[in-house]
Amino acid sequence: MSLIKLKNVSKIYRLGSQKIPALTDLSLVFDVGEFVVLAGPSGSGKTTALNLIGCLDRPTAGQVIIGDLDLQSASSRQLADFRLQHIGFIFQSYNLIPVLTAAENAEFTLMLQKVPKQIRRQRVSKLFAELGIDGLEGRRPADLSGGQQQRVAIARAMAAEPHVILADEPTANLDSHTAEELLELMRRLNREKGTTFIFSSHDDRVISQARRVIRLEDGHLAADITITA
Amino acid sequence: MDYLHLAWKNLWRNRRRTIITLTAIAFSIMLVQALHNLSAGVYAGMVDSGVRAGSGHIAIYQQHYLESRDEALYFKGHNLVTEIETIDGVKQVLPRLYIPALAQSSRESRGVVLIGVDPQRERQINPFLKTLSEESMIRSADSRDAVIGSRLLDELQIKQGQKFVITAQYHDGTLHSELLYVRGVVSSGMKNIDGSLIMVGHERAALLIGSSGSVHELAVMLSDPGREESIHRRITTLLGTHPDIEAVSWERAMPNLANAIKLDYASQKFIFLIILLIVTIGVINTLLMSVMERMREFGVILALGSKPMTLRGMIMLEALTLGLLAATVGSLLGSLATWYLVSVGIDLAALVPETLEFGGVVFDPVMRASWNPGWMLQIALYVVGLTLLAALYPAIKAGRITPVEGMRHH
Repeated sequence: MSLIKLKNVSKIYRLGSQKIPALTDLSLVFDVGEFVVLAGPSGSGKTTALNLIGCLDRPTAGQVIIGDLDLQSASSRQLADFRLQHIGFIFQSYNLIPVLTAAENAEFTLMLQKVPKQIRRQRVSKLFAELGIDGLEGRRPADLSGGQQQRVAIARAMAAEPHVILADEPTANLDSHTAEELLELMRRLNREKGTTFIFSSHDDRVISQARRVIRLEDGHLAADITITA
Repeated sequence: MDYLHLAWKNLWRNRRRTIITLTAIAFSIMLVQALHNLSAGVYAGMVDSGVRAGSGHIAIYQQHYLESRDEALYFKGHNLVTEIETIDGVKQVLPRLYIPALAQSSRESRGVVLIGVDPQRERQINPFLKTLSEESMIRSADSRDAVIGSRLLDELQIKQGQKFVITAQYHDGTLHSELLYVRGVVSSGMKNIDGSLIMVGHERAALLIGSSGSVHELAVMLSDPGREESIHRRITTLLGTHPDIEAVSWERAMPNLANAIKLDYASQKFIFLIILLIVTIGVINTLLMSVMERMREFGVILALGSKPMTLRGMIMLEALTLGLLAATVGSLLGSLATWYLVSVGIDLAALVPETLEFGGVVFDPVMRASWNPGWMLQIALYVVGLTLLAALYPAIKAGRITPVEGMRHH
């Protein structure tokens, strides 16, 4: 069942009078439960594609349809609501709120969703246990290692039980051992919970773990390979 | 965690900056509250001195006397004195006659305004008579005793116990003279008082104009000046049967004092405004810096699904927390400062040795504040409102960014 559709999508950034094409005529379909990597070198359009899929940006041309939401016609408010209810984000540099504890960071989207405090606590506590970071709930991001911070970021993305989790270079700041562990963790979540994971990465270790690899080059689709086990 | 908890944590993100801003706001609240309370206390003291020596809290005159000061506009007021004194909240009613006259000694003569008073009542209230010993006081309303200003005494070249003659116009237009003896000497430090004051018993004064029992003014003293308005209404009702007599407030009877206080209060308010304006600019600067530093974080919060309005609300809540905290600390400090100014005050005697006069009234060189909790609360809430106003621009700015723009910030 298709979850996300990109139809002839182009994105052009303006830098003064200069037009910089980031994506050109890209068409893609993502199904429920996929574990996909958007691969390609820097500047190939991976982050731009993720921003469009994540309802963070609008295309210059073409159509992005996520579920039954068309990005072009949706208001900013609708997009924010959609992100809150259906999409989880994992960022390269974790982007945890430094003044909040690990548990409070993980609870953040639930707070935005107005989920009662007790339910938030229970859900986060369960997630922390699943992610192997139980006991770190009261620590601030500055007191956590990179791997621990990224696990907290995953907990934050997972807490609201979204349909899709988008991860922009999630292992770029991690050592190989931690990166492996995290990838395995995300695969497990994908298997057990059926959550769709879409990564951007140029790291071969990440790419090798994916079941589908979409290769972008200069904003064009270079390859779309589904790996069968 | 909830939004208030988040606001509290964000507030202490940069501890030093928050403490400096908090101190600036709290200090300004303390300053404005303490200065206002001090002014209110000083004004109350001035009004008290003014009404005691002057018109009372409420003054009763024959119609048009106030504007013309025509000595022929007197009325039979002695019955009214007892009637008005039955009104709850009236402390004392002072009958007075004001007669333009010529004071003559064997060597000199001076033009004066003779004041006929009820010596017993007046002594309880009038600051000029309060300081006199029993031996220096006018003995009765019809005695020939006079209390005279020290400077006038020198100008007439007479001494305590010596006689002088006072001459005024009788009601039929002829001149009438009375022999008086200097019983007491007033040395107020105010040139116009010491150079022109002559007080005698009201019956002796009435003899000069040939109208026994007449008064120009009934000065009504209240036990609680805060009830002036309601008592004024009751007196006006009481005077309903005397259409030619009117009751006026002290502000109307003593416009010099009222206007001097109004002018001084207006300049105080202007200073308060400047203090609060400076603080507001400081708060805008702090909040704007705090917002600009967190643009990336705001981008992330928006990406996670927060609506711009929720983000703005978070920033406004931070400002509200800051404002309320500063208002609490500032009001505590303001109360402490007011407590000191009420119980100890500021003694200006060492700084200004001469008599302090304001709006024609001598006031105590020890300036003391008075408590105005309602006004203190008003100022505290006003500053909270200003803090929120100061947060409006940073909040709007933060809410305008898109998630992608925000996350590009470093």
